[in-house]
Amino acid sequence: MQPTESHSDWSRRLARAWMLLVGLTLVSLTAVLGFGHAEAGLPAAAVALVASYFKARAVLDHFLDLRRADKGWRGFFSGMLVAILGGLMATYLIAA
Amino acid sequence: MSDHPTDATSDSREWGALSDLPGNPIMWVLIVSELLVFGAFFLGFGTARIFNVEMFRAGQGMLDIRLGGLNTLILVSSGWLAAKAVQACAEGNGKGARLWLSGAGALGVAFLVVKSIEYADKAAHGIDIETNTFFTLFYLMTGFHALHVVMGLVLLVIVGWRNSLENLETGAAFWHMVDLIWLILFPIVYLVR
Repeated sequence: MQPTESHSDWSRRLARAWMLLVGLTLVSLTAVLGFGHAEAGLPAAAVALVASYFKARAVLDHFLDLRRADKGWRGFFSGMLVAILGGLMATYLIAA
Repeated sequence: MSDHPTDATSDSREWGALSDLPGNPIMWVLIVSELLVFGAFFLGFGTARIFNVEMFRAGQGMLDIRLGGLNTLILVSSGWLAAKAVQACAEGNGKGARLWLSGAGALGVAFLVVKSIEYADKAAHGIDIETNTFFTLFYLMTGFHALHVVMGLVLLVIVGWRNSLENLETGAAFWHMVDLIWLILFPIVYLVR
């Protein structure tokens, strides 16, 4: 693989993805811990699952370089994530 | 489409639609398979929770969110270092690639140490895989994931030793997949309660 992206651009992109992952993790933790340990509640659950989607996309797009793949593949992986995380949100709502 | 169009593995059309994915096509087959297996596991966890909400809430209340959060930060940082290793190798810096990969592996070991602390704490409180349905699923999911971390560490050692770009990309892809699974596992087991 011969990079066409400059060293600094590539480094910055990876660093931004890492910062996004750290930031979204801290947002999820804050949302849930803000409700105490007993029960996070619907808003915190939604924040945690939506944050999980964007974190997974960051790993796929920037660490696994899925951003280089065509729209079909990107849509396929987005669909898988939505199915899993949406399904979990549905089970949460049913149980609530 | 491609910023890095000279991937040996992605130039050929012999893999059909998989040829459009960056890196080694077999690794993408594994990533999709693992997402399906763990996805089924996670949805099973959510379904079991419907029938035992109070038990699951009590079980989740006994988990340490901070340790889970710490492990999330450790794993995403490890993934970043693995991506940096691939970058260094692609830019012809083999020594740098090994250093970045060593950092990724060290954080992988740190993840296992934190997980061991968590398991030891549960054992000290008399909690094990047979305690109830929640903890059976907790140990199966986190244990299965931890085994993937161990396998990933073995792979990182191998591709650090034989550090051709294709090997590094493949080993790092497995590592990112382990990261990806944890990013879904962590909220559903620790946070959504």
